[in-house]
Amino acid sequence: MTILEPSSDSAPADVADAPATPAAPRPRPRGGKLLHLAERYALLLLLIVIVIFFSVYPDSAGTFPTTANVSVLLGNQAVIALLALAVIFPLVSGYFDFSLGAIAATSGVLSAGLMSRHGVSLTVAVVVSVLLGVLIGLVNGLLVTRLRMNSFVTTLGVATLLGGIIQWYTGGQTITNGVSTALIDFGSQQTLGLPRVVYVVIIAAAIAWFLLSHTPYGRSLYAIGSNPRSARLVGLGVERSVIIAFVIAGALSGVVGVLQLARAGSATADAGTNLLFPALAAAFLGATAVRPGFFNVMGTMIGVLFVAVSVSGLTLSGASAWASPVFNGAALLVAVGLSTYLGRRRGNTTS
Amino acid sequence: MTDALAVRGLCMRFAATVALDHVDLTVRAGSVHALLGGNGSGKSTAVKILAGVFPADDGTIEVKGESWGAEHYTARKGRDAGLRFVHQDLGVFDQLSIAENFALDAGYPTAPGARIRWAALRRRVAGLLATYEIDADPDAPLGSLRPAERTMVAIARALQDQEGDELILVLDEPTASLAQHESAILLEAVRRRADRGQTVVLVSHRMPEVLAVANDFTVLRDGRNAGTLRAASPTEDELIALMTGKELGRTMVATAAAGPVDGAGTREVLRVSGLAGGPLRGVDLSVGAGEIVGVAGLVGSGRTTLLKTLFGQHVPVAGSATLDGAPHASRSAARAVAKGVAYVPEDRGGEAAFADLTVRDNLSASVFGRYFKGWGMAYGRERQDARRLIDEHAVRVAGTEATFASMSGGNQQKVILARWLRRSPRLLLLDEPTQGVDVMSRAEIYRTIRDTASGGCAVVVASSDFVELAALCDRVVVLKDGRIARQISGADLTADLLTAAVQSSGDSGNEVASGEEKGNSA
Repeated sequence: MTILEPSSDSAPADVADAPATPAAPRPRPRGGKLLHLAERYALLLLLIVIVIFFSVYPDSAGTFPTTANVSVLLGNQAVIALLALAVIFPLVSGYFDFSLGAIAATSGVLSAGLMSRHGVSLTVAVVVSVLLGVLIGLVNGLLVTRLRMNSFVTTLGVATLLGGIIQWYTGGQTITNGVSTALIDFGSQQTLGLPRVVYVVIIAAAIAWFLLSHTPYGRSLYAIGSNPRSARLVGLGVERSVIIAFVIAGALSGVVGVLQLARAGSATADAGTNLLFPALAAAFLGATAVRPGFFNVMGTMIGVLFVAVSVSGLTLSGASAWASPVFNGAALLVAVGLSTYLGRRRGNTTS
Repeated sequence: MTDALAVRGLCMRFAATVALDHVDLTVRAGSVHALLGGNGSGKSTAVKILAGVFPADDGTIEVKGESWGAEHYTARKGRDAGLRFVHQDLGVFDQLSIAENFALDAGYPTAPGARIRWAALRRRVAGLLATYEIDADPDAPLGSLRPAERTMVAIARALQDQEGDELILVLDEPTASLAQHESAILLEAVRRRADRGQTVVLVSHRMPEVLAVANDFTVLRDGRNAGTLRAASPTEDELIALMTGKELGRTMVATAAAGPVDGAGTREVLRVSGLAGGPLRGVDLSVGAGEIVGVAGLVGSGRTTLLKTLFGQHVPVAGSATLDGAPHASRSAARAVAKGVAYVPEDRGGEAAFADLTVRDNLSASVFGRYFKGWGMAYGRERQDARRLIDEHAVRVAGTEATFASMSGGNQQKVILARWLRRSPRLLLLDEPTQGVDVMSRAEIYRTIRDTASGGCAVVVASSDFVELAALCDRVVVLKDGRIARQISGADLTADLLTAAVQSSGDSGNEVASGEEKGNSA
């Protein structure tokens, strides 16, 4: 008695359905629950192991587990963590946004420029810079949805364009004068033993987590990332949701620029790619944890810490300057490989 | 005559379902052998095993005297032994020239330095086109050919390295996407090849065509051999009797017996007048509350377009529709959904599934907003609802958190239906609702649809399965030339009469080929 054959008069069988994947109801392996738990928290466990290792490893034991180091580490990573949060919104909906690093750089240069060249107040400078992020995100979203342009190439183009505009605006010079001291203080001061910028990240992460996991909007975004055509046909506003994802990412990147300015005290003429790649690495690493196979906020935060702690430990153990990019690159490759593997095992791709 | 292809005791299971149960297929050299069977009979599975898409569980496959255990059989072995396939999706490149289409399969003839010898390629392809009686220039783009010729090119390409008649050609639903007169041209060409000794296995569900071309027949039903006829000329009725059989017949009767409720169709829910756009040229249709109306028609007749237009995926060029008396002209799925319309598309994997998300996510996709409580999503209640829906629809799945892709086709379809029915739609649009669904789930899905209609919902079912339409619907309209050509209901509503009504049209000269229907969704 049976079937599993597509109606003979229709289009070619769809992939998800074809009997070519006789994997149908896969029997769960014994101890599947434990394995599942291990999979979800493997990255966190690894992070803890690395922290312990560098805390006892003779070369780094003296410097690594100190409050000073922890403070520097978290402060430096705040910018990347915030950008990683921005990155996952388009990623969840199935799009890449390579312009976010450049948006951050532009926002940093713009707020510094507004304050130093035009004597604009801190508040106005920050608001204008974040609004610029919103605007660029909106443009990205419209290009990608309404004009159906490839997100990869489109955002890369926008990033290059912004890099050029930064060069023109700064004339290749670093803007150091006239940046609000209140902002620089915020970037260097601590509250309750933690750099203040870390609190910005915690608040942003909480909001992002709420949006992605606890609102119909976030649920729709995951559905769109899973299958945009199905999402449209159950009546989800696909275009609108994707545009909003790009806008949120743009706005967050705008904040990243201001935060970066606060930390550094100056804005350099730089296209922001050095920020984007660690953020992407963290997002992909995060997709192997907590909710394996999907980009998620908690995983991303663990990913940021994992990369940061490893690099910091290596540096303090006396590794050379090249250790950091090598580790970042390797982590990104391993993370992409792992999340692809997890995705395939979950059955969303055949063969 | 010797046997060119002999399949014995072929068995195949997909998880809990048996797709093939000791199926035999013996094809004599130089014959045209028709492999027949309804939806779910196992004929596609058998063809896929022969094509090496996946190995069978048990049985033997013998091609030209070479024999293998079916579990060790591969696409490569079959090809080396002389099996050639032309699938429904021809796998041709419309933008490339005919010559290049041949070369991409067999390789480009090259001179030293990997230079392509275009002249040699052109000469060879011109020779092949002459042999296969295709009147075309090798340099012409393939897309410029008429549909029957495109298929012939695919056939010639599959057989291009044949010297005598040693290859076995398997045609998998070659006419499914062709209009009637195009398939006549194609089958005539196939017939002429066969007369010269070409061995052909023809998989099809179009009875009259098969009867005109085939010498031998193997009929499958529910994964078993239902009958084999050699050098016979059976009537269409005899073959249909073999295909439908008694067992399936009984299942159908049982569901049909559930019948329409009294007074069904008294209150009009949907009225469509003069709807045109795509293949539609003025469709008039009225569907009442509690009524299940079927839409029959050939591929390309506009079945899918009609449903998609009502769901806001196509903008009609003319005509109008009303829903419960109010104008219904949704420009998007979201608006159609808001008005109480539900749509289960034909392409489940591509247009309905969130394959890597959980069953719960898939069930909730139509009602995400309901679970938002200001402080977050009410996951507890969502899980509880998902469990209830899984029970109600008899979905066999590990739990609410299992992935959608982990289920069988039948259970996936139940989840998609449940997703919509939980919204209590006014109008339910179903496109091929039991495609790739096993017999048991099929009966359950029919029951669900009937119950939904009894609750006052208007249901429109588009299907290519006439047995299904006859069993499920109160009334069936036949789409032809973009209009409703016929309406069949009551005692007349049988699979045979539907087959006749849909196929009868020798005159459907302006039938459109399949591509159109799928294409441009908004």
